[in-house]
Amino acid sequence: MSNLIMFHGKECPHCRRMMPIVEKLEKEEGISFDKLEVWHNEQNADKMRSFKNVIEAKCGGQLRTPTFLNTDTDSVLCGEVPFENLKEWAIG
Amino acid sequence: MKKKFWRCHVCNDIHFGIKAPKLCPTCRVAHAYVEIPSGEALRIESETTTKMNQEGFLKAITAFAENNEFQVNPDRERVDMLLDGVFSNEKNHGLKFCPCRLRTKDFEEDLKLVCPCNFRIHETYKDIADGECWCGLFIKRSEL
Repeated sequence: MSNLIMFHGKECPHCRRMMPIVEKLEKEEGISFDKLEVWHNEQNADKMRSFKNVIEAKCGGQLRTPTFLNTDTDSVLCGEVPFENLKEWAIG
Repeated sequence: MKKKFWRCHVCNDIHFGIKAPKLCPTCRVAHAYVEIPSGEALRIESETTTKMNQEGFLKAITAFAENNEFQVNPDRERVDMLLDGVFSNEKNHGLKFCPCRLRTKDFEEDLKLVCPCNFRIHETYKDIADGECWCGLFIKRSEL
C-alpha cells in the first residue's frame, strides 16, 4: 500500500487524461500510487469520504476527481495538472 | 434560508425551494403544496418520472444551453463519456450525479452535484474567459 493515492472516476475525462501522466511518473521515479475508483467501488468512495475535510479544503469545497492525496502529510493536489506539477507534488 | 421539498397533494408535482409555489405549474391548483422529507421526494421522483435516455438528455441540455453564454462541449467523445457516467450514477445511486465529483451521502448537499449543476458560481467557470463546469460538459461560448 502506497502513501500516495489517486482518487479517480471511471467516466471522469480529467482522470482519464491524468492516468498516463501518473503512470509515466511511477515509471520514471520508481514510486507508486494506489489508484482508487470511487463511483463504482463503494469501499474506495468511503475511503475518499474519510478524508473529506482535508480534500474539500483544497478542492473547491467538494470531493472532486481526480484528487491526489499523500496520506503521510495530508497534502492534496486536485484536478488535471501537468506532469511537472504532479512530480513536484509527489516527490518534492 | 434552507430549501425544502414540497409536494402538490393533487398531482404529486415536486418542488425544491424555500417556499412552495402558490400555483402548481402542472395541475394549476392553488395552495396545493405540502412539505415532505427528502426521501419521499426521491421516491416519488423515481416512481413517476419517465426515464430519459442519453440522447434525450443531450437534446435537453443542448436546448437548456441554447440561449445562454455557455454551450455543451463540442467534443462528442468527452460528452459521451460524461453522459455514460451521469446515467451510470443515476442507475447505481438514484440521481444524475456528476461523474467528476463524489457524493458525500448528505442528500441535500449532494443535490448540488446533479447534472446540470449550478456551475456558473464555480471558480472553474466564473470570471474565466474559457471557463467550463468542473467536468467540462458545459463550456463558455468563445464568441462572447
